[in-house]
Amino acid sequence: MTMYRKTLLAAAAGLALVGLAGGEASAKEYLLTAAKPNKVVLIDPAARAVEKVVEIPGPGVAPWTVIPSPDAKVAYVLTAHNEAVVGVDLDTGKEVFRTDMNEPENVRSKIMPAVELSRDGKELFVFVSPMKELPGEYQVMDTRVKVFSTADGVGAKPVREFEVPRRIALFFMSADDQTLWGLGWDLYGIDPKTGAIKETHKIVNGPKPDRAPADILDFWPQYEQADVFSTPYYTFDTTKQADDPTAYKTGMLTLDLKSGEFVMDEFEDTSAVIFSSVVNPVRRNEVFSTYTQLSKIDTATDTLVKRVDLPHTYYSINISGDGEEVYVAGTMCDIGIYSTADLSEKGRVEIPGCPDQGVASLRVIER
Amino acid sequence: MKHITPMNRKAKAVEQAADGGGVDEVYTMSSIVTGCTATVDPGWEIDPFGSVAALCAPMEADLYGCSDPCWWPAQVPDTMNTYPDWNADAPSAQNDWRELGAVFPKK
Repeated sequence: MTMYRKTLLAAAAGLALVGLAGGEASAKEYLLTAAKPNKVVLIDPAARAVEKVVEIPGPGVAPWTVIPSPDAKVAYVLTAHNEAVVGVDLDTGKEVFRTDMNEPENVRSKIMPAVELSRDGKELFVFVSPMKELPGEYQVMDTRVKVFSTADGVGAKPVREFEVPRRIALFFMSADDQTLWGLGWDLYGIDPKTGAIKETHKIVNGPKPDRAPADILDFWPQYEQADVFSTPYYTFDTTKQADDPTAYKTGMLTLDLKSGEFVMDEFEDTSAVIFSSVVNPVRRNEVFSTYTQLSKIDTATDTLVKRVDLPHTYYSINISGDGEEVYVAGTMCDIGIYSTADLSEKGRVEIPGCPDQGVASLRVIER
Repeated sequence: MKHITPMNRKAKAVEQAADGGGVDEVYTMSSIVTGCTATVDPGWEIDPFGSVAALCAPMEADLYGCSDPCWWPAQVPDTMNTYPDWNADAPSAQNDWRELGAVFPKK
């Protein structure tokens, strides 16, 4: 038995004891996503059913980034046309946190779209892109992080702010709460207290020999199960001709949020478009990815293991804690459930009324 | 670009950037646009493999995934800034597409 499995068993035993002491059932996994117009959706994957749909108060149509609180009671959701983050209590449906990007002096700010919580759930980090409306022009201002105390509730104002590079699409907090990772053209390790960039893993600005700068399109935070962020990237072998299909390479970038280990390795000549990916928390060399197809990648050997067609495009992907089921979501109103062993379909859940999820995140929580 | 003539300052700047080799600084899908800037993206016409299998499948699945983040503001209404309620009454693109109207510049 590996140390990891021993730890899992110990954790499971601990949860059972907590459950007995509190007279509650032990924690169970749920999927958390969002859909139009302005709804948070809680799904019981074991029952293959939607558990609850919660309305997000206030304006907005298309909820985007979804960040669950560590106790899985609150969903923090980017909404209001990228101008607010709203915390909704998943039990009561009440608004428990809200910050609107109201700015003075004709400044308009959009949250684009990186949002993250500290691991203790006390601080919320929001990537903001401001712009000043002048009589004859739009003046682009420096991008910044606004930090909020979640305890400030509805109407929260920033407790501090700091400038960060442009184009950050994803934040993920290190397991020790000491580094706020920001994925933009490069991957920045940011001090969450001061905003100082402690380290940078070069992506666009630091291509490997014989490779074009790596290209990434990813704004889906889905690292919670393995505590490893992963994303596909695309590059080009500059020693080959542009009309050579083997010149185009797809790789997998992984960042271990516990150890900080950063890896970028190619696994195939580009043969599919992939939007986002997730690491198996049990067999950690297995990575699953989605868009028009569901792929299984072995990062130990850097090979594509299997690829199957999906019924339609899906943007977001997540995985069960036992590593047996992978979930694809986003775009339309269904969540597909597939076996991690052979990528066969195991089930499907449709959100009542069939509202589109669009670009909404897909998260796994335990409650 | 001999068949295309820039009509405004921004278009002239794009042409000058291309003439000066600035296209090397443009990456097709790097991260996400910050606001509704036109993205360098081939659009719905063809995928990277010269086919259509890797495009939106079907188009309705991806319509809001592209319009809400302002990915293609020239092709679909910009719901982030200019037409925020364009799809407010059409939560399902595949079922409610008849509710999606054309938009016109505000006077």
